[in-house]
Amino acid sequence: MYIYDDFDHTIAKQRVAEFRDQVNRRIKGELTEEQFRPLRLMNGLYLQLHAYMLRIAVPYGTLSAAQMRKLAHIARVYDRGYGHFTTRQNIQYNWIKLEQVPDLMAELATVQLHGNQTSGNCVRNVTADHFSGVIDGEIEDPRIVSEAIRQWSTFHPEFSWLPRKFKIAVTGAEKDRAAVQWHDIGLHIVRDDAGEVGYAVYVGGGMGRIPVLATKVRGFLPKRELLSYLEAILRVYNRYGRRDNIHKARIKILVRDLGPEEFIRQVEEEWEASRHSGVNLPPEEEIRIARYFEPPAYEKIAVPVAAFEDAKKANRAFAQWISTNVHPHKTPGYAIVTISLKPIGGIPGDASAEQMEAVASLAERFSLAEIRVSHIQNLVLPHVRQADLFAVWQELGKIGFANANAGLVTDIIACPGLDYCSLANARSIPVAQRISERFADLDRQHKIGALQIKISGCINACGHHHAGHIGILGVDKAGQEFYQLTLGGAGDETASTGQLIGPGFSSDGIVDAVEKVIDAYLDLRQPNETFISAYRRVGPAPFKEKLYGVSR
Amino acid sequence: MSKADTPKVLTGNLLRNGATVYYTGSGWSAHVAEAQVAATAAEAEELRKIGAAAYAANLVIDVNVVDVQPTAEHRPTHIREVIRATGPTVRPDLNKSMSPG
Repeated sequence: MYIYDDFDHTIAKQRVAEFRDQVNRRIKGELTEEQFRPLRLMNGLYLQLHAYMLRIAVPYGTLSAAQMRKLAHIARVYDRGYGHFTTRQNIQYNWIKLEQVPDLMAELATVQLHGNQTSGNCVRNVTADHFSGVIDGEIEDPRIVSEAIRQWSTFHPEFSWLPRKFKIAVTGAEKDRAAVQWHDIGLHIVRDDAGEVGYAVYVGGGMGRIPVLATKVRGFLPKRELLSYLEAILRVYNRYGRRDNIHKARIKILVRDLGPEEFIRQVEEEWEASRHSGVNLPPEEEIRIARYFEPPAYEKIAVPVAAFEDAKKANRAFAQWISTNVHPHKTPGYAIVTISLKPIGGIPGDASAEQMEAVASLAERFSLAEIRVSHIQNLVLPHVRQADLFAVWQELGKIGFANANAGLVTDIIACPGLDYCSLANARSIPVAQRISERFADLDRQHKIGALQIKISGCINACGHHHAGHIGILGVDKAGQEFYQLTLGGAGDETASTGQLIGPGFSSDGIVDAVEKVIDAYLDLRQPNETFISAYRRVGPAPFKEKLYGVSR
Repeated sequence: MSKADTPKVLTGNLLRNGATVYYTGSGWSAHVAEAQVAATAAEAEELRKIGAAAYAANLVIDVNVVDVQPTAEHRPTHIREVIRATGPTVRPDLNKSMSPG
């Protein structure tokens, strides 16, 4: 894991001191709310329905066990005993008191954590594949460049007041687990014909009111030139992105309005003028950062591991969990474990202080003290010996996190929705809970197979409904919660935007509607055909018919 | 949406701790049942003025006048305000009642 240098530690401490002073002045009345609001947002502090909410960055989704323990401590001391892992690999707390935030932040800073870049119109916390560095077939660990981007973008003076927020995601494997095409900038690490490592650069993706898949602006950008190229993109956006209309302020609108060709031309022109400015990462600095992400000292393990193979044969529930929640590791004898934060009927992404501490202990015992946060609102133990999997599974069972549902119908993404969020129009979590309960039967879930349901409580789309195989959007219809259904979205390398299937459903009707869609799929699927493949083959018609009848 | 003939209460969040509170006529309560109710447009306007003054005095933020039902409990008419008054529906263990005690 990356370890802060003196410079990082100093700016983190200075930021805490600065915010402590700002909070004191606000409480004394020396700052008005209008003056204070942008300052608190820069530190990740929002006001929600019931209290302040603090969002803490987990850069590229990597946490140490010590950091997880600190997050548990924060939940217990400063909140009501739990936190919520978000769709941007962050964690947020729901019951924060303004007057306690400076002390809370000082505690976070002792373990390299903070709320910087989790709000405001800046370059937000960079996200990456949650299997970075451990999945087979990766060209390069995307966290190396993500860390460079973190350093470059932190408090970047030119890009602290962009027209709107700006999200960058990086993936290093062929399979895209970071949804790069849905980001303002998506970087896909690739090799050119000569074998040199670089980036396919995507720009202008985004969800929200106007869902847009990113435009590939470069098939191959040499690695050493990345930061100057990012700077050129941001400079064009900063100069010409709209500031007059918040709904048209994201870079996706600029790319659309200029047209991709003209946008690319402007970026390239800016880049020609600035690419030799010295912003690019010096090779020795890249080597320094990369050293922190070198593979740990794995044991040499002979495979197959008999104890593991025997346990799978002897225990069907364990084998079922292996089939969904365990991925092959690039190192023989090891495995990647997805910890499902989606117990049946539970709140997607929520974890109590006790659960966080138990995960930290498991990471220390079984995963070289490392944890990942996924944008699917699950946690990952990235370095587990196959021989330890059975013990890990049993321990997870004790804290309710051993559900064998990763990637299945009950592995639902849901934003906090109207239960917490001041922007929401409808609740998301109760819909997720009812769908989860409807499909609680694990054999049924495994029979349905890979299926991503994503639920947002408003058009801002924090629940990624546009990218859901089945997407649900909550709206306010004459004071009542109402839910629109979209089908066919995807967030991976085959990214697509879900399409509205027809008239929406009441809160009571939405779960039945989801079940009808799934029943229609089961009726028409071909052998081994996933939901998204089937939808792409047959289109919306059979689903419409099942939902609304032939006449519609 | 707010309707002119619906009873109204003044609500906000305390600056220091963010807690959702209601104006009682003399102070602020966590319970909507204790809120002072405006029955007329003129009374609602008076609540708005009190809210603006409390905001200017850095006591509360996110100040709003919201519709409630004409019952003793002053149950808000919109679900958003019901959830603000009682807490997240998915965590009944953390909820507060509309009435004190």
